[in-house]
Amino acid sequence: MLEISELRKRFAGGPDAPDGKLALDGIGFAVRPGRMFGFVGANGAGKTTTMRIVMGVLQADSGSVSWQGRPLRHDDRRRFGYMPEERGLYQKMRVAEQIAYFGRLHGMSAAAARKATEDLMERLGVAERRNDPVQALSLGNQQRVQLAVALVHDPEVLVLDEPFSGLDPIAVDALATALQERCGSGVPVIFSSHQLELVERLCDSVGIVAAGRMVATGAVAELRSAAGDTLRVVVRDAAPGWPDGLPGAVTVSGDRHILRTTSGDDQEILRRALKAGRVEHFGVERPTLTEIFKEAVT
Amino acid sequence: MNGLILAARREVMTRIRTRAFVIGLIFTSVLVGAVSFAPKVLDRPDTYTLGTLGTQRLPLRAAAPDATFEWRTFPNEAAARQAVLDGDVDAVLAGGTTVLTNGEIDDRLGVLLQSADREAKLAAAGVSIPPLRMESIGADAHDQTARTGLAVVLVVVLFMMLIGQAGMVAMGVVEEKSSRIVEILLATLRPWQLFGGKIVGLGAVGLINLVTNLAVGLAASTASGVAGDFPPGMPGLVAGVLVWFVLGYAFYATLAGAMASLVSRQEEVNSVLTPLIMVIMVSYFLAFYATNAPTGTLATVMSYVPPFSSIVMPVRTAATEVPLWQVVLSMVAMAAAVLAALAFGAKVYQRAVLRTGARVKLRDVVRVR
Ligand SMILES: Nc1ncnc2c1ncn2[C@@H]1O[C@H](COP(=O)(O)OP(=O)(O)OP(=O)(O)O)[C@@H](O)[C@H]1O
Ligand SMILES: [Mg+2]
Repeated sequence: MLEISELRKRFAGGPDAPDGKLALDGIGFAVRPGRMFGFVGANGAGKTTTMRIVMGVLQADSGSVSWQGRPLRHDDRRRFGYMPEERGLYQKMRVAEQIAYFGRLHGMSAAAARKATEDLMERLGVAERRNDPVQALSLGNQQRVQLAVALVHDPEVLVLDEPFSGLDPIAVDALATALQERCGSGVPVIFSSHQLELVERLCDSVGIVAAGRMVATGAVAELRSAAGDTLRVVVRDAAPGWPDGLPGAVTVSGDRHILRTTSGDDQEILRRALKAGRVEHFGVERPTLTEIFKEAVT
Repeated sequence: MNGLILAARREVMTRIRTRAFVIGLIFTSVLVGAVSFAPKVLDRPDTYTLGTLGTQRLPLRAAAPDATFEWRTFPNEAAARQAVLDGDVDAVLAGGTTVLTNGEIDDRLGVLLQSADREAKLAAAGVSIPPLRMESIGADAHDQTARTGLAVVLVVVLFMMLIGQAGMVAMGVVEEKSSRIVEILLATLRPWQLFGGKIVGLGAVGLINLVTNLAVGLAASTASGVAGDFPPGMPGLVAGVLVWFVLGYAFYATLAGAMASLVSRQEEVNSVLTPLIMVIMVSYFLAFYATNAPTGTLATVMSYVPPFSSIVMPVRTAATEVPLWQVVLSMVAMAAAVLAALAFGAKVYQRAVLRTGARVKLRDVVRVR
């Protein structure tokens, strides 16, 4: 299990901000093996800073990161796969060589690195570019190479900062499948994203950060049910004023009245609606992740 | 260690495959080869064209076996005078007593004519003088010119190699920093492995260059015969040059890489390297001075002071005899300076390389925390 607890980080300020900037204010969460953890939050919330601290490229002021119950060390991180927010590759190095080089840096033998490189290039659709220098690839294809670099050594943990941004739908699916596979073999995966539908679709659990704190964490389903169910009733051809005295809000769209409420006696509401007109819809709805997110960060 | 070797190998492999490296190597090899042949081409034995009236000639060949003399016969003095004025001949022997020239006679030719004439006349009078026997008693009286030439070539080569390879380390550091690839590299490698790998790798590339040039130089000078003029102890000199290159390179490359880690853009590299380049330039000028006065006080003192010693000492050893203990002492001092540079450079690099954006102030990095 990867546990992040009570991380704090203040960046040194410039002349305009002598106190500096408090980027992380005690953020903490845990990712279990075989779980996919979606890390979401507004711009500047502190996702990248957290991931950099996990990967050891930035030092926290306080707090700790532990892996399998021990403080995370450099040797553990060598078995992690990391995709930084600011992508970086050797621009003049060839695609296949570059992926294999990172495999070797992570401790693979030359043969194993070569084989893993071939497999990944095939899966991520860059196999026919294997001998091109990275700079000759389109941005999206460079991104695929960047992913291959993070995945080549079959990492024990994956930390990916916005891995889906800039990918076309085919590549999104390829990556999603690849991540689900790793997850399925027991690897904890953390990724940040602003594409909440994707997070909702892929992740077992999510963490919502705001201003350097974790404001909500949990399984997506739990978060949604915890956020409260909403009763939605659609009534057609009803006289205005029928819901007077009932809780909730009514919106009118053409000849339909839509009532939304989180409280009140549903049976009573149904009786009143039936009396008022044609009930087209009567049901309980859960908020989407996007709605929870907006709620949480504002 | 393994990580350092992998990083070093990547540097070597990517560098030696570039066109710039191959062309550069061919270019310098051709240059070194040309320089090795130059003395034989420029130093052609003297050739003199002489005129005579009738059949009178002087036995000049005996007096100067290395020079060539061509005799032309003129029917009368007027034709001979015209030839002198036209520059067709260097001098005309007019009768047994006069030599006609256009302006003052070439020093050597004048002496040769006088002595050959005297000898011929004395021989005619029955006096024979055994020629003086020439004997050199100085250790390096004969090869001083060759030594100075060698030292000059060495200064230029060492200077270019040091500045070129150190600059490459600096560019490489900034390349990794500006492309942000350091972030994933440092998630697997420790800073000293990445930095050390770059220094070792590019140093190996420099050695490949230097060894190739030395080999070409030695082969070409053997072929041209210049090698015959080389001072004794060439193998030691060559070994010394390689050691000095390694020491000088380690010192300058470490500092260049550390300075470069302070900036995030290629355009800023030059300004951040300026102080270091000044130091290399000063070494260069000192070493050049030393080729002329290898036994002078300045050259002697500076051949012990790191980092200047890394160019001045090999130049001194090429230009004159230097006792081995002096060379070793100077190497030890330089090695100590290299260790200090490594300690300092690794610290600066480690603290600065992940701080992208504005130029990091050296003061902020060095400050003890
Ligand atoms: N090197 C730095 N120096 C100063 N402040 C920084 C630095 N890096 C990040 N910050 C600040 O820390 C805060 C958190 O930034 P971070 O990059 O972690 O946000 P994020 O959640 O990844 O945002 P985004 O969704 O835009 O990627 C921001 O306010 C940012 O300005
Ligand atoms: Mg970010």
